[in-house]
Amino acid sequence: MKRFVAYALIAVAIATTFVSAASKRGGKMTYGRYADSLFLDPVLNDANVDIWIILNLYDTLLQPTNDGKGTKPGLATRYRVSGDGKTFTLTLRNGVKFSDGSSLSANDVKFSLDRAKNPDNGAWNGLIASIETVTITNPNTVTLALKYPDPSLPAALATFNTAILPQKQFLASAGAKDQDKAKAFAEKPIGTGPFVLTDWKKGSSMTLKRNPNYWNKGDDGAALPYLDEINFQIIPDDNTRILKLQSGELDGAEFIPLARVAELQKDPKLNMTLFPSTEVDSVIMNNRPKLKDGSDNPLSNVKVRQALNYATDKDAIIKLVTFGLAKPSKSFMSSATPLYAAQHGYMYNLEKAKTLLKQAGFDKGLEVSTMIVAGNADQTAIASALQQMWSQVGVKLRIDQLDSASNRAKYRANDFMMRVSKWTDDIADPSEITGYFAIFKNVESLHTGFQNDQLEGIFEQSQREPSRAKRASLYRSIQKIYFDAAPIVFLYEAPYPVALQKYVKGFVQIPLGNNIFVNTSLEK
Amino acid sequence: MNRWSYIIMRVLQVIPTFFVVMALVFFMVRLLPGDPTSAILGERATEAMIARGNKELGLDKPLIVQFGVFVGHFFQGDLGDSINLKVPVFRLILERMPVTLFLTLYASVLAVLLAVPLSFVAALRRDTGIDSAIRGMFQIGLSMPVFYIGLQLLTILGARWRLFPIGGYGETFFEHLWYLFLPALTLGFNLAAILMRNLRAAILEVLQSEYVDFARAKGLRSSLILGKHVLRNAVISTVTLFGLNIGGLIGGAVITESVFAIPGVGRLMVDSIFGRDYPVIQGLTLTFAVLVSLTFILTDIVHAQLDPRVEVT
Repeated sequence: MKRFVAYALIAVAIATTFVSAASKRGGKMTYGRYADSLFLDPVLNDANVDIWIILNLYDTLLQPTNDGKGTKPGLATRYRVSGDGKTFTLTLRNGVKFSDGSSLSANDVKFSLDRAKNPDNGAWNGLIASIETVTITNPNTVTLALKYPDPSLPAALATFNTAILPQKQFLASAGAKDQDKAKAFAEKPIGTGPFVLTDWKKGSSMTLKRNPNYWNKGDDGAALPYLDEINFQIIPDDNTRILKLQSGELDGAEFIPLARVAELQKDPKLNMTLFPSTEVDSVIMNNRPKLKDGSDNPLSNVKVRQALNYATDKDAIIKLVTFGLAKPSKSFMSSATPLYAAQHGYMYNLEKAKTLLKQAGFDKGLEVSTMIVAGNADQTAIASALQQMWSQVGVKLRIDQLDSASNRAKYRANDFMMRVSKWTDDIADPSEITGYFAIFKNVESLHTGFQNDQLEGIFEQSQREPSRAKRASLYRSIQKIYFDAAPIVFLYEAPYPVALQKYVKGFVQIPLGNNIFVNTSLEK
Repeated sequence: MNRWSYIIMRVLQVIPTFFVVMALVFFMVRLLPGDPTSAILGERATEAMIARGNKELGLDKPLIVQFGVFVGHFFQGDLGDSINLKVPVFRLILERMPVTLFLTLYASVLAVLLAVPLSFVAALRRDTGIDSAIRGMFQIGLSMPVFYIGLQLLTILGARWRLFPIGGYGETFFEHLWYLFLPALTLGFNLAAILMRNLRAAILEVLQSEYVDFARAKGLRSSLILGKHVLRNAVISTVTLFGLNIGGLIGGAVITESVFAIPGVGRLMVDSIFGRDYPVIQGLTLTFAVLVSLTFILTDIVHAQLDPRVEVT
């Protein structure tokens, strides 16, 4: 009898586990966003407000994994790389339909990739610059001929700009030029993604409904997504967004100010989540010998830049600005970026900073300035903290507050000494951030003017290195060289703070920032 | 000059103002540092990308040519497309302007409904506890920033007592009334305070005048005296003040719309300025210029109605 009871209990336990494991279907999720999307075209968009939700509408050939470091099958079930690394063969998934019911074909894939790699189109074509031609080998195989072996290509094929659009419907959109067609198409996008845009009141709300033709299956064997509908509400004010969440009018809200995280963590109805991110915050420095006005630039001396790094108490800044929720930076890239290699050094050390300044000939002190975006609380806090910290080694920091467009104009003109800056990766590969931070030819190494021939040589090599282990070793060297040259003041890497009601399950914001709703369910 | 020619004259006077505003806004937004192309392309744009973007937007042409294009399009009823939102500016204004107008009108109505009766009570009960309480309340209205009042109303009436929704605009007319009650109150409270201070003083002054004594001596009912003689004479300067402050209401709407997540033009204007979205800034400024001018004309007309001595010169 005892044994029978025990078996029965086990059976019940197993049964309930199964019941609770299956996600609940249906329901509408209301999600508070801080800003609305602008342009839902995968190729021509330019902003995170688009990039971070676009993969709910369109699919890519491969998809990013939830840790943001790898890829998994998407519209392509598998891919094969030739021995010389210059041919990339993709097998397309059978039976995939667009949200309007038409079937996905190899033509759509060729059209979308050709459009994405066109150098005249948008800001992202550089991510797939290695693709020479796209050929349809047979109805479900597409072959990419590469100019050179490209280890970042799988990640690029999982990035928003290579999402697949329906060729016929796109070309049938109003307008003569690609740009005009994209504008018309993006008002009512057609994709193979889990959701379809059904209503959009710009600046106010956006409604996505379940795509009935979606190809991927859930844990119950039926088609995803679980939700019937997502309603995005645009609530720019942080306090209002949180109040709406607390009162139950929202099921989730993004960009919770870090100052409010501890309070929301205590709320029994909420699940305050800090998703790992690729965000890195730093102060970039002008490394050129002369400033724009022709005067000598003390920051061109590596010892001064290193001294400022030693005089920066990262832990104190993390406490002050992020309420202890960030991690100190140990490289220019975040620990969520593939091939990250933590560096050692720049521990808070005033004596070391003073020595370095003395060696650089600034033992009597010096004056520097930094630009911040006016009204930005985080940047103000960072700059004020640095002002105080650096004053202890005789460095006087002037803070210039400028509105974001003026700030950017001076940055682009290299007319600055320092600038508080934030970065997130768009692709699960270290080449993007390295290309911008450390390589001169793109944007003059984030306009710092930093240029290191040895680093650039290693980067060139890493761009064609198929072996992951060898590539990792090259990236260790790149990060070491950059860290020692200190073109920036390293600060911290911060998470994405999202607050959800406890009954919301399966939502992920991956380190690249993409909001993934395909597995989200409301368990109430 | 009769009433109609007065109105027509006032409307005609607006036209040159409009053209000055048009030229001013066009050149002033371009004097600001920064440009729309690098604002949309962001930090990662290369020089080549910026140049291509400028060419596509026609921003590589000389300023005077761009101005010609702007004026030319304007007379064809085309305000251009928003650079950031990729939709026609005219459509944006048509979508968003009614929301802001509803909010400011609602706020004005609430302000008048608050200010008129309370000024009477305060004036008639001069220097009593009630007078001090009313004046004290409005002093708070004058000195407290709009966003703070808004946030407090939201926290208490919205989140704690659940009497009103937190933010949003609603779908139907009655939903608008319900959704916009807190924002309109927030916005109207400050205006009510300004009106109330002026109206109370005016009522006190009129109450002292001889014709009011005379009306009392005739034995007229006090409601008639207050309604017909006192209010009409006291309200004249307040009407002018009200008209002048409508422009301020639109300014306050920028903050209110942001706190209450209302999709009006206030928020759009701020975003467009930060994004250097020239066509939207131009379109909105011109619309505001028309609205403010119309308000002034309306104020003058009402003023002329109330006070027959007012004439156009």
